[in-house]
Amino acid sequence: MKHVLTLTALLLAQPALAQDTSPQDLIALYGAQSGAPPAPDAGRALFLSDQTGGKPDTPSCTTCHSADPTRAGQARTGKAIAPMAPRVAPERFTDQKFVEKWFGRNCNSVLGRPCTAQEKADIISWLNSL
Amino acid sequence: MSAFSAPPDEYLQANPREGHLVWDRFIRVFHWSLVASVTIALISGLALDATWSRLHLVSGTFAVALVSARIVWGFTGPAYARFSGFVPSRQQVVAYLKRGTGHMRHLGHNPLGALMVLALLALILGLGATGLAALGSGLKTGPLAAILPASQGGVWSEIHETAALALLGLIVLHLGGVIFESRRSGENLPRAMITGRKARRMGDIAAPARTAHPIVAVLSVSGLLLVSALAVTDLSQRPLSNPPVAVIPPVYSAECAACHMAYHPATRPAASWQVMMTGLQDHFGEDASLPQETAAQISTWLRRHAADTTDSKPATLWAGLRDTTPVALPDTAQWKRLHDSVDADTFRRAPVYSRSNCVACHADAETGWFSPFRITLPKEPTP
Ligand code: HEC
Ligand code: HEC
Ligand code: HEC
Repeated sequence: MKHVLTLTALLLAQPALAQDTSPQDLIALYGAQSGAPPAPDAGRALFLSDQTGGKPDTPSCTTCHSADPTRAGQARTGKAIAPMAPRVAPERFTDQKFVEKWFGRNCNSVLGRPCTAQEKADIISWLNSL
Repeated sequence: MSAFSAPPDEYLQANPREGHLVWDRFIRVFHWSLVASVTIALISGLALDATWSRLHLVSGTFAVALVSARIVWGFTGPAYARFSGFVPSRQQVVAYLKRGTGHMRHLGHNPLGALMVLALLALILGLGATGLAALGSGLKTGPLAAILPASQGGVWSEIHETAALALLGLIVLHLGGVIFESRRSGENLPRAMITGRKARRMGDIAAPARTAHPIVAVLSVSGLLLVSALAVTDLSQRPLSNPPVAVIPPVYSAECAACHMAYHPATRPAASWQVMMTGLQDHFGEDASLPQETAAQISTWLRRHAADTTDSKPATLWAGLRDTTPVALPDTAQWKRLHDSVDADTFRRAPVYSRSNCVACHADAETGWFSPFRITLPKEPTP
């Protein structure tokens, strides 16, 4: 059991993050870009929904992230992915480049297009409310 | 009476029931230790999996050491231990065969038995040598690691295995010969190899008397052991040429180990990395795109340390990969052949989930070595 825990800790270990931003800052930034107030419910709906526009192996954000973002998810390769909710994973949404890189990749994989500033603000505000 | 010399005839005449001491104490201990170590080496090598390799190496090395000591004793021991006392000439072998079962009894090895002894000794030394060669080339350990290329690994293992089967065949013949000769001569030969004694009968062919030199023997064997140990240690420490690169740059771990383990550059050739690194936006059904500059930096590093310029068994396995769209190693024939013995379900179940999750079973996967000594099949966690 101890080994399982150490292993999980290792798998969940994050690369060094820049710590140059915060969830609130990012919500404000994306909110300002879109010009509309962030809607956590819309973020939740998008995150949990099944899509058809993207790559067939990744129909949803929850293919890899847990549908309960306070819990760990799992990549298709078996590798664990740390929870997405900043309350349980304080290192989330603290590195702007990192956030942009993964929104870029993951929205393209799931939706087949980049996420809009509005969608990013919605998703982060939902995750931040958990 | 010394265990190292044949008894003088006067002694035997005085004590007729004790029999004639044929096998001295060293020969007897040697014989039964060899039986034990060869049995263990054969079973661990032919029937058990890689987790037993340590036992195989120890028992095999021990058998070779025993044979080396026996060879020294063949020049320094008492009458029946000496090669000069039993190695037959071609005429002797022919004459022995011609006379069929009617020949006189040899107290020591008869000409055919002597040939068997020589064949067994030679084959065990050969097994030691080919075993070291297989270990050095395929697994890049031991004294021959720096000398033999990994590409020879398969050949040496095959020769080693064929020699092991030949040894098994000789052992069967040897047992047959012992049973036959015990029946024919009415003397329990296995027991004689325990007590060392055989009944003295009229017409027996005895070996010419020789004085044993146990001190010379012990000194020679110690010297031999010391020199071999020093040579093995020195050779084993020679640096390998082109081992899998040991230092993984942080940019690689950060960018290429977020979705999966860090695949070592030596798991595919440079051309294959080139193909993969130019198509990251559609990477095994996912978008793994990177800024141009980062991708170029990683690509250069991967290609510099790729399989075609690395000398290791896994590198030779995949150096010939010629994919035009990125192929996962588990979709290659080589991978499937190696993992034939693993139940397909094991790969889908927790905690493995994917055949590409090599590190779940190969503790050293991220070093590129994939040593058979570092494999464990993970147990399904109990919820
Ligand atoms: C194919 C698997 C996969 C899918 C599908 C996926 N993600 Fe991710 N996501 C990852 C991985 C892997 C990471 C990086 C590892 C980590 O941060 O633990 C990540 C990281 C992120 C991050 C960075 C968070 C931070 O730490 O700052 C965001 C944001 C994100 N994903 C959003 C999404 C959204 C939104 C979706 C659905 C549109 C989605 N992901 C779908 C695998 C996936
Ligand atoms: C967004 C997630 C993601 C990122 C980032 C990513 N990969 Fe992958 N990679 C995958 C998936 C999914 C597979 C398919 C594995 C499977 O089938 O389990 C894969 C497979 C591979 C394989 C084949 C594995 C095998 O079994 O032979 C290699 C090699 C590989 N990736 C290298 C890289 C490199 C190099 C990088 C960095 C430039 C990288 N990956 C970044 C998701 C990713
Ligand atoms: C479910 C566990 C498991 C996974 C996952 C796995 N392997 Fe293996 N692998 C094994 C076992 C068990 C053996 C030994 C099989 C045998 O000896 O019959 C083996 C043998 C090997 C060998 C030969 C080792 C030797 O020298 O004898 C190589 C090379 C190898 N695997 C590479 C890989 C690579 C590359 C991957 C990932 C793409 C991988 N394996 C994934 C279990 C696994």
